[in-house]
Amino acid sequence: MEKLLKKLLNKPWIVIAVTIIISAMFFMQMKQNSRMETDLDKYMPQDHPAFVYSDQAEEWFGINDGIIVAIENKNGIFNTATLDTLKQLTKRLQKMDEIVKADVTSLYTADNIVGTKEGMDVKAFYKRVPKSEEKLNELKHNVENNEMTFGRLVSYDETVTVIIAEIRDDVFTQEFYEEILALADSYETDDIKIHVAGRPIVEGTMALLGPADMMKMVPIVLLVITLVLFLTLRSVKSTLLTMAVVFFSVVWAFGLMAVVNVPIYAVSTMIPVMLIAIGVADGIHLYSHLQLFLRKNPDASKKEATLDMLQNMWKPVVMTSITTAVGFISLLTSQVYPIKYFGIFTAFGVLMAMVFSLVLIPAGIMIFGLPKVKKSKKDESNIETNLAYGFAAKILKRKSVSIYLTAAIIILSIVGMQKIWINSSFLDKFEKDSEIVLTDKFINDHFGGTTTLNLILDSEGKKDVFKNPDVLTLVDQMQSQLENDLEVVGNSFTLTDYTKRMNKVMNADNEKFNAIPDNQYLVVQHLAERDSIAQLLSSLDLARQSSLAQDLTSKLAILDSEPLDSLAQKMIAQYLLLYEMSGDPENLNKVVDYDYAKLNVTFQLKSDNSKAINSAIEIIDSYEEDFGKQGITMNYAGSGYKGLVFTDLILEGQIMSLVLSLIIVIILLSLMFKNFKIGLIGAVPIAITALISFGTMGFLDIPLNTTSALLSSIAIGIGIDYAVHFIEQYRNNASKSDDMLLVAQKTMAHSGRAISYNAIVVIAGFMVLLFSVFPPNRELGALVSLNMFTSFVGTVTVMLVLLKVSNIYFKKEKK
Amino acid sequence: MKKLQITSVLIAIFFAIGFSPKVSGQSLTGKQIVEKAYNRDTGNDQTSNLTMTLINKSGNQRVRKIKQFTKDLGEVEKNIMFFLSPADVKNTSFMSWSYDSDKSDDQWIYLPALKKTKRISSDSKSDYFMGSDFTYDDLGDRKLDDDTHKLLREETIDGKKCYVVESVSKDEDYMYTKTITWIIKDNFIGLKKEFYDEDEDLLKILSIKKYEEISGLLIITNSEMKNVQKNHKTSMVLSNVQVNIGIPASKFTERMMMRGL
Repeated sequence: MEKLLKKLLNKPWIVIAVTIIISAMFFMQMKQNSRMETDLDKYMPQDHPAFVYSDQAEEWFGINDGIIVAIENKNGIFNTATLDTLKQLTKRLQKMDEIVKADVTSLYTADNIVGTKEGMDVKAFYKRVPKSEEKLNELKHNVENNEMTFGRLVSYDETVTVIIAEIRDDVFTQEFYEEILALADSYETDDIKIHVAGRPIVEGTMALLGPADMMKMVPIVLLVITLVLFLTLRSVKSTLLTMAVVFFSVVWAFGLMAVVNVPIYAVSTMIPVMLIAIGVADGIHLYSHLQLFLRKNPDASKKEATLDMLQNMWKPVVMTSITTAVGFISLLTSQVYPIKYFGIFTAFGVLMAMVFSLVLIPAGIMIFGLPKVKKSKKDESNIETNLAYGFAAKILKRKSVSIYLTAAIIILSIVGMQKIWINSSFLDKFEKDSEIVLTDKFINDHFGGTTTLNLILDSEGKKDVFKNPDVLTLVDQMQSQLENDLEVVGNSFTLTDYTKRMNKVMNADNEKFNAIPDNQYLVVQHLAERDSIAQLLSSLDLARQSSLAQDLTSKLAILDSEPLDSLAQKMIAQYLLLYEMSGDPENLNKVVDYDYAKLNVTFQLKSDNSKAINSAIEIIDSYEEDFGKQGITMNYAGSGYKGLVFTDLILEGQIMSLVLSLIIVIILLSLMFKNFKIGLIGAVPIAITALISFGTMGFLDIPLNTTSALLSSIAIGIGIDYAVHFIEQYRNNASKSDDMLLVAQKTMAHSGRAISYNAIVVIAGFMVLLFSVFPPNRELGALVSLNMFTSFVGTVTVMLVLLKVSNIYFKKEKK
Repeated sequence: MKKLQITSVLIAIFFAIGFSPKVSGQSLTGKQIVEKAYNRDTGNDQTSNLTMTLINKSGNQRVRKIKQFTKDLGEVEKNIMFFLSPADVKNTSFMSWSYDSDKSDDQWIYLPALKKTKRISSDSKSDYFMGSDFTYDDLGDRKLDDDTHKLLREETIDGKKCYVVESVSKDEDYMYTKTITWIIKDNFIGLKKEFYDEDEDLLKILSIKKYEEISGLLIITNSEMKNVQKNHKTSMVLSNVQVNIGIPASKFTERMMMRGL
């Protein structure tokens, strides 16, 4: 290895030329092949049972996420202008390519089925926009009296009405969103306001906004890092070469991604973040060593200096990079492909950063010369050294302080971690006062909710189970319990609602019958009918075989042959047949399958936050036993639920890989330093960093989500770098001296100095993200900074103490 | 208005027999061709067993068996039908009286579980018949003057020479902007029909699979309507067809609906 590096040192131009040529090739590939994946379904493992079931259910019932277009008129919506806008907008949406024509629902498309004295009346609420006062009042009256519409398509205060347009899979684009917004805008007047919301909008905006914001912020981050790097390294050449290492490693990572045709996922935008944080470290350590060497040997030639740098530093650089890369490769245990890719390509980038640091930086020095070491800086370097010496002495003197403080922080973090919660919400990722959040709130205030949770009840193939009144009554109970007990559940909808509506309609709109048909009641009716016929028959003169008597006799026979326990079930079957014949049969297909063996219950929630969804699931699950008795199993479906499962999967994988990488790191460190204790000691800063990171999130009520979970990887990646550099230096120094304090002080002045530079540079860079417009990116900036800081502090304090206490290198020396 | 008149429906889709096909020689206009198709002799009365099968895009089927009666009484046509299966809707019956004048149809439904006959009124002509892919209009409620008819061309399909006629709706709000019908030149049976939606996209295709001569009249006994946008289809098969057997007018009453078969 050393020989190879030395050889390359003699051919700096070739090294640089080769690097640039390959980078250019990768860059071309990126330009041609890179594509952004914004469809969230593509992120989910398609073969996970929960997703397989959900996808099937979506197919069975045509479950799609809907765009909600709300038309608001503070003076009320029952006037010609607003109703005309509703009609026009409905028609325009139906004509859009991204929208299935039949899947646009509004007051304009809905049927009004009402009971009359004689029977039943099926009408559209309106076709021609009503103009006269009388017609408008009639419409208002019809809406108010139809529970399928009032509160669902028209708000109870009658100031808002919605159009729900389901969109096809994979069609959301920025252009489509803008087209919808422009369409909505074009219908706004002084009185009429139009709002657009719904999960597709939220998802789409997020998938576009997050990475877009990242692309905007990364250059600023790079600029700040470059600046701070310059302030610490005090050399333009060194700064530029270090940044070149980062730049090339990012290009190669994304280039390789393009070559093997892996799309850029939202988490992939974290790759540059990781590479910046890790890539600058190698450069800083190399230059830091070089500077110290030059201070001692001001007259050394550039070749001597570079050789010394390589000789002393290649090992820690390789060790840190390999351990970091292995940490990322442990992400392969995740079930989520974008995260696997993230792990692989970050690991590749880290290894490339290592190669560039060992090859490109020396080549750069050979060509452009050594960084200048100004003589005037002598005082300053003394101050620095004194500071490091003093600090090391203090830490070692007050060992117990570090240990106790660390213990306290660990305990506190563990307490904080208890409060950590997972959030799969998309809306929570936006600013509280952003348009998208406000619109969502507006619609939630007026309607059942913008988030849907689908419960799929499945009788496992047994037919007609969902015509059974006992089953439907149980479903109805569950619906009422959720609607009444949980504020967050605004509405629910399934076959029970159609059944109840038909029962009411067929009983002359009597509110008493707004219920699932009751068998007991029907039996009483049935027997009363039978008795009255029998009585009538017996009162007739039997000698006269009238046709009336014939009719009555046959009717009586039919009644008597009727099994009494299935009266309600037949009633339901006949209502549903009638509904199919009079309403839009597609409506029923959305709630029940052809065999009445599968039921889709839709709950509308006012929040897509995981706590809200889980609170609903908890109550629903309490019905599992009751449904189980009827041979019915429960499953969930829909995008809200998939998001929930997905987040759990990510976290599960993340925790797995965290533990795994911690173990691998301990093993690697033990092997590298040929001592198991060192392995454990080296893992301490990492463990502390991860604990504090999660503990802080718990205390600050920052929920875990896909990005914040991935940050534990950074904790490992960086923590290990600090530890390896520090231990390696400590070992080197210990081999030269028996004075424990001096060894610690020297290590502090060398590695400690480089580590602090590294921390300062990266923290400064990531603080920039605090000014991002996208909250998750702000969290990311804050957490990376925090992780850098704790890793640094942990390494130079408690790890140093542990190194000393363990006494490893000195024992060996004495032997 | 026009619900549940399955018979007139069947007769019209199945555009039963018409004028004796002697009119050849003179070229007919689109309107004349459609008129002949609409006005084919359907007999005075008819009874049959209808098997209606709904097939959704996953290939699931829903099968319904119905016994139906129809009678033409001059200015009013009366239909009555009884469900035979599925079991839980057995004896459910529907009756409709449709008038030649502009008067809306009268319709009744009897649900045996409810034990009451109810009147149904509906303003929607585009309603789907029993949850099938046929609307009532498709089944024959359409009047000749509701559309502007144009003979597009002549074409041979399935070995039969057909007129191809385009009928464009006069009412802009109607659910179909236009239909294109292939009408057999010999007997004026509509063999195939395409329905175009509000945006002039193809929505449905009706195909006649089989027609038979029964008591001297041509009766379509097997047809299929496919909704190409939803990938959903409905097949209607008639069996035990009897024509002109003298069904009494007293068959078509609320009392008969309640009594069942």
